[in-house]
Amino acid sequence: MSMTLLQVVVSGLLLGAVYALFSSGLTLIWGMMNVVNFAHGDFVMLGMYTAVVIWTALGGGPWASVPVAAILIATLGVVSYFLLVRHIMKGPMLAQILGTFGLALFLRYAAFWTFGANFRTLPDTLVGHSFVLAGIRFEGSRLLAGVVGLGVTLLLHVILTRTAIGSRMLAVSEDATAAQLMGIRPQRMQALAWALAGAATGIAGALIATFFYTSPTVGETLAIVAFVTVSFGGFGSVLGALVAGLIIGVVESLSAYLIGPVYKDVIVYVLFVLVLWFRPQGLMGKA
Amino acid sequence: MLKTSRRTIVAGAALAAVGWAGSAAAQETVKIGAVYPLSGNSASAGEYSKMAMEVGVDVINNGNAELAKIMPLAKGGGLPGLKGAKIQLIFADNQGTPAAGQNQTLRLITEEKVAAVIGAYQSGITLTASAIAERYGIPFLTPESVAANLTERGFKWFFRTTPVAIDFAKAYSAFLKEQKAAGRKVDSVALVHENTEYGNSVASVIAEVFGKDGLSITQNISYSANSTDVQPQVLQLKEKNPDALIFISYTSDAILYAKTMKELNWKPGIMIADDAGFNDPSFVKTMASSVEGLVNRSAFAGGKPGTVPYLFNELYKKKSGGADLDDVSARGLEGFLVMADAINRAGSTDPAKIRDALKATDLKADQMVPGYDGVKFDDKGQNTLASSLITQMRGGQYLAIWPKDRATAEVILPYKGW
Amino acid sequence: MSPRRILQLGVVVLVLVYPLLAGNSPVYGRLGALVLLAAIGASAWNIVGGYAGQVSVGHAVFFGVGAYSAVVVYTHLGWPPIAGAPLGMAISVGIAAVIGVPTLRLSGHYFSMATIAVAELVRVLSSTSDFLGGAQGLSGPPVPRSVLDLSFISATPYYYIFLAVLVFLLGLTRWIEGARMGFYLRAIKDSERAARSLGVSAGRYKLYAYMLSAAFTALAGSLYLTMFGFIDPESGFGILISVKMLVMAALGGAGQLFGPLVGALILVPLEELSNSLLGGRGAGLTFVVYGAIIVIIARFLPSGLLSLFERRPARRDRAKSAPVAGHAD
Repeated sequence: MSMTLLQVVVSGLLLGAVYALFSSGLTLIWGMMNVVNFAHGDFVMLGMYTAVVIWTALGGGPWASVPVAAILIATLGVVSYFLLVRHIMKGPMLAQILGTFGLALFLRYAAFWTFGANFRTLPDTLVGHSFVLAGIRFEGSRLLAGVVGLGVTLLLHVILTRTAIGSRMLAVSEDATAAQLMGIRPQRMQALAWALAGAATGIAGALIATFFYTSPTVGETLAIVAFVTVSFGGFGSVLGALVAGLIIGVVESLSAYLIGPVYKDVIVYVLFVLVLWFRPQGLMGKA
Repeated sequence: MLKTSRRTIVAGAALAAVGWAGSAAAQETVKIGAVYPLSGNSASAGEYSKMAMEVGVDVINNGNAELAKIMPLAKGGGLPGLKGAKIQLIFADNQGTPAAGQNQTLRLITEEKVAAVIGAYQSGITLTASAIAERYGIPFLTPESVAANLTERGFKWFFRTTPVAIDFAKAYSAFLKEQKAAGRKVDSVALVHENTEYGNSVASVIAEVFGKDGLSITQNISYSANSTDVQPQVLQLKEKNPDALIFISYTSDAILYAKTMKELNWKPGIMIADDAGFNDPSFVKTMASSVEGLVNRSAFAGGKPGTVPYLFNELYKKKSGGADLDDVSARGLEGFLVMADAINRAGSTDPAKIRDALKATDLKADQMVPGYDGVKFDDKGQNTLASSLITQMRGGQYLAIWPKDRATAEVILPYKGW
Repeated sequence: MSPRRILQLGVVVLVLVYPLLAGNSPVYGRLGALVLLAAIGASAWNIVGGYAGQVSVGHAVFFGVGAYSAVVVYTHLGWPPIAGAPLGMAISVGIAAVIGVPTLRLSGHYFSMATIAVAELVRVLSSTSDFLGGAQGLSGPPVPRSVLDLSFISATPYYYIFLAVLVFLLGLTRWIEGARMGFYLRAIKDSERAARSLGVSAGRYKLYAYMLSAAFTALAGSLYLTMFGFIDPESGFGILISVKMLVMAALGGAGQLFGPLVGALILVPLEELSNSLLGGRGAGLTFVVYGAIIVIIARFLPSGLLSLFERRPARRDRAKSAPVAGHAD
């Protein structure tokens, strides 16, 4: 493998870890309560603006913005759950799309109104300089986002599968009534899921802002990637989102490099439809 | 459902009536419509244009002593040709969609009764919006849409002040040939362009002109402007290492390319950007230190104190909170000034008279906010005196470097980057 | 005549004479036409999304195919754009068959996601096709050559053309509702497994609904083109086109005959009026309001506005027997 090709693969893997990071919140909500949050991209966008505001107003880097964004977006998630999602999740699937799409427009243009239409970027020195390791160039902010992305998705996976609270959450997702009979409060578990998902999404936003541009409509670009990643991986499976994110990242990078950037989306979508053809439940989803 | 439909209609009729009454009351103002993207992905360009045009309105209505020395319309007190009528600019949001552009243009013409329309930034929207103006016999002027087919439709009410792709391509070709003559290596040129209307059309015209002029394009990369990652493209470029590189990009992708080139530590000897994203004030504000020495095209490049561009820029900075006029806002402002001048000469808000006045427009270079040679329309409505400046990024701002007679600084190459 | 009858008759008369009422305002005349056009798209979507319960978020594929077919017969053959409508409908039915067979097996959200992916795929491909004008898009006749170009200054002709199409589409939908297919679709929507066990070929009927829906969505696209005269990848295949059809149908009441029309009747004027009143100021206030209203409707009327009329008696009953449940609502 040529050095350049190796570099392409590495950058694809880092990108994929970031995809996994900002998709993990979506897959958690989807799996827990069978709700697709169409406002997910805009949650990420608000996480990004948190980082922008913390830097422009206070000069704080990701060490400050990541925890703040995690708390803020987790709060937003819980508020959205109690005010909106709780009421629409029992309705038809369409009501969920309607409600979360309305929320998406509202958040997007509330940000527009507050921050203006301008593109913002954070200085690339915020995280640290890039370095070369074994001939491969690593860029500080992307590496940080990729590593944290891996860490957070794995942590979410562990919480869901290895802890008592995780198994309670899963119990609610499988049968809320039965869980209630066992003394679990479904609403509390679901609110917790929104808080966890929001925190992961806020972290994702704050980290992406360090190497990406921030604008009110950036969520739209990211949301489609997240939808594909999550359904590719299988809904509800955080691990699936991680694997799918890595695959998509590498496939995108390789096809952009080898075939041409216009076709990278084509290849990802075709791959996605093929996966659904052969495995309708996604890579790691439950049938 | 039954109730709703009736209510909607009644409410609609009531609102319509209000609209009529409102427009009849205002007699001493001249209304001009402006259809711009004020929401959606291009909203930032729309906002800058809006601010710039509002500066223009203020200068004509309330005057500016220094500008009045050069510009007849800057004396204040509105349009002398219409007994001092003030100008009212009515903005409408095209939402970045051709349908909204057309609906809003119709509203401006029929409800607001505007005398003329300016707009609409995106070529596709200008296309549908101007079709409505044509039907209603209202002059439509686009200060910034560059698609070639706009002036090829045989429209009688359509005017365009901006230079078009072929003008840019010729400018780049001439500039690069000069560099070659000066002994710099320009054997291979890479074109990197976003794949919507803007990038595709400009790239294909550049490829054509360069082919004729004997400049060889060795790489032609087309990418989607809302890409999440451009590392593979920069690596492709790094591998082929072209002598010169031309970007045709919007803001988001311009930011990503500038960042990624620095991350991967690669730069060509000459880097050119075709305006748009690389000229966006938000790009300049945050990325300038990563693209020192970038050669750019711009219709606007400051100017010496006391000139029209300088004075307007000072006024604009006050309004925008420090940001300079840029290519888009300067062209938008010029479009407005051309329209105001025509209405003034027409001495009337009669659309046909305004159109005749637009046809007779003959503005000189010293009246221009952007670096045009003047404004004079041909039979198709294209400004024959539109031209571009080539600029270079120097310590946080773009300075004019080409053509020589308008340069405010010398060319410094190779490209420095960061 | 019962009061209900009189009301119905009143609405019919109102719909028929609306262009006369709006006569002196081109904007309101056009608003009527835009409502009907949106209602055609949303009603077409409703056949598969509402009745069959397969929530497509990729119907822009068919809309775009319809619009492009119309403009392509003009650009490449010099025909009047509307002549491309049958072609667009035929191609859309074909595409629906091709993508329906694999994707309709997917359940719930997976189907939605797959349709998004297919629409995005088509959007990207269309922007690389020179035949379709690439990213620049294609435009219809700049000035009408004959009345067949269906290019009018007044919106009144569009209004009646769209009205005729909508009446036909709703009539067809009404007929399906009562026919065997409607029965099967309702069964599938309620429980696909139960429907299968009763011997209903669920896959086949879902596919029929999908193809029919695709054909009329394409027709809406062709009609759009005759009115606006321009199409590019974003305005033809953009995700917002798909979402708008869905939102209108869901807002009014999906799976109900008049649901999409009611949705269009609310959303289109809301969008146009709020843009006219607020849009010029910038700052995106239009969409803040628009988004908030959608959220509120979804929150309080998850089954759409029409449920306002049906639910009432049921609610009263429930409130009597189970006050606690009533509070939780």
